[in-house]
Amino acid sequence: MMKANSLDPRTKIFIVAIISTLGILYRDIKILSLIFVITLVLAFILNHDLLYVIKRLKRLLIVVFFIAFVQSVLTNQGEVLIQFYGVNILTDYGLLKAAEFILRIGIIILASVIITTSSRREILQGLVQLKIPYEIVFMVTTAIKFLPMLRDEAINMFTAIQLRGLDFKKIGFGKKLKVYKYLLLPIIISSILKAKELSIVMEMRGLRAYPTRTSYRQLSFSLKDYATMGISVIITIMFVVLN
Amino acid sequence: MKDNIEIKNINFKYPKSDLLFNAFSLDLNMGETTFLIGDNGSGKTTLSKLIMGILKISSGSISIDNKGIDQCTLGEIGKSIGYVFQNPDHQIFGQSVIEEMSFVPILLGNDSIETIDKADKLLDNFGLLHKRESLPFKLSFGEKRRLAIASTLMREPRYIILDEPLVSLDMNNMDIIKITINELRRTGKGLLVISHNEDFANEYADRVIKIQDGRIAYDESK
Amino acid sequence: MGAIEVRNLSFKYKEGEPYILKNVNFSVKPGEILGISGKSGIGKSTLCKCICGIIPKLQKGTMTGEVFLFNENILDKQISEIVTKIGIVFQNPVTQLFSPTIEDELVFGPENLCISREEIDNRLQHTLKILDIEKFRYKNPNKLSGGEQQLIAIGAVLMMEPEIYIFDEILSFVDKEAKKRIINIIRELKKEKKTIIMVDHDIENMDIADKILYI
Repeated sequence: MMKANSLDPRTKIFIVAIISTLGILYRDIKILSLIFVITLVLAFILNHDLLYVIKRLKRLLIVVFFIAFVQSVLTNQGEVLIQFYGVNILTDYGLLKAAEFILRIGIIILASVIITTSSRREILQGLVQLKIPYEIVFMVTTAIKFLPMLRDEAINMFTAIQLRGLDFKKIGFGKKLKVYKYLLLPIIISSILKAKELSIVMEMRGLRAYPTRTSYRQLSFSLKDYATMGISVIITIMFVVLN
Repeated sequence: MKDNIEIKNINFKYPKSDLLFNAFSLDLNMGETTFLIGDNGSGKTTLSKLIMGILKISSGSISIDNKGIDQCTLGEIGKSIGYVFQNPDHQIFGQSVIEEMSFVPILLGNDSIETIDKADKLLDNFGLLHKRESLPFKLSFGEKRRLAIASTLMREPRYIILDEPLVSLDMNNMDIIKITINELRRTGKGLLVISHNEDFANEYADRVIKIQDGRIAYDESK
Repeated sequence: MGAIEVRNLSFKYKEGEPYILKNVNFSVKPGEILGISGKSGIGKSTLCKCICGIIPKLQKGTMTGEVFLFNENILDKQISEIVTKIGIVFQNPVTQLFSPTIEDELVFGPENLCISREEIDNRLQHTLKILDIEKFRYKNPNKLSGGEQQLIAIGAVLMMEPEIYIFDEILSFVDKEAKKRIINIIRELKKEKKTIIMVDHDIENMDIADKILYI
């Protein structure tokens, strides 16, 4: 079955571009929250599996919160909320900054989710029809495919080494480090080898044989797309004017 | 006498797929050689990964010697059950074949000299001694497969799961693996061999279980 | 006039390492099926890569001797010309499939060759039918079994309509069911007078070959 939502990927790129720009330009936390909520709603409309995606991003979210926390600790302005032996841990200004940061990152993450509701092929086609050179687009979309591959490689390796009787939770920090170091090189090497194999396969199917290529599937805007883009523009203008 | 793996009423499905195992139950005797046969996609590899805890069941229970695997870490399970992946690239990391064999045991505190001695012996048994210093990535598929099995044996697990050990091997390599399987049986190790090759199963199995679409199609003991 | 002629081919990957291929000589007539067999690790895959130009154009090494495709030295030809004449399917289906859907995967090759959309559509319908994979058209290749994935990999090469096919141990990761289907496809190709080189370490799979080369 084709992807359930029928919005042209270029429309999504358009919306995401607007949202990202607004997210960067505005500082006020109330406005950022509004943008965040709108993005969340959009992401949910386009991707009903949103909860599943968020679950998979758990680790990333932990890192984000950690960075936000560190940011707030290092910010010393404003009223102090929590102190620890004379060191300011939390100030209200720091908290605000942290919240801003989290919202911004949230907007970016949700924007990416919106883009990924189109398949890689559709995104590629969209960018190509927007007159971006094929080679660049292809490099980017292949790189996107690569990240999950890298992640899977890493997980496989960690699983395999534990299955050799290595109980990760019971070894000391120093040994843990040794294991990470040991696995780092193989993960990188095996990913590079895979990439090389893949590139050979692609070239043997004619990639870069000619400066251009045909596209079997052409994207064309439907009424839905024009309507969506039109509404987005109107809302954006209203948004900017009211703020 | 508890020397078994008990799979009770398990449910499992891959994300965005249909239910593969539905209230599935099976008892495996860790003292004998069991073959799991069936076509690609039938669930045999998945079942082996569920036993090892690599994949998690959504309901039901799996116990090894009466201890639920949900209470064990991968490392603990790996201590008593050896697992050889279908694709040896998934479990080969070292900078040299000998390092591949000895890294984990030495890290866990075993004596270096003894470990390396043991590793050399195993490499010799598997015809890999001459490749001792080679980069594992550069070995041929058959050699990698043998290396994967050899390094699993370093820990002397009492039960070994082999996922499609013969696939993609030439006659030579296949013979080496078959001889190995015989040796393991002779020394009293239990085996779970996953294969889609029924002749292979009939020749070596104490018990043959056929899996089809997540169900047991038949279960015969010799 | 041979479809493929290999003369005194020797090859090694690195200086200081032994030669993997030593003075290999053989030729294949158009429409013939050549089986290549030998122990694992002996260089069959390396030979395949030399025949279709992957070596030395995409992978480096020291190569002496010559490979001729339809009487033209392969070194004189660009990859873009070579891929219209010769297609190769490798052993592991997983590293050959990279598109989000089967359809995308199949049309990738002809798209690169600037084939018209109508023609691509024709070929697509034809290939989906021969391989009996119509129902997988919009599916993600990752969700298929090894045997089915290999069928897709073969299909992707069929779409390019080369004259020569190289099958490098394509039956390795494939179950009985898929094996039958693949061998039938090879039979069909033979009927269409295509030239085929089949590498396999299992002689039994090579019933269909006209002659066999042992390395």
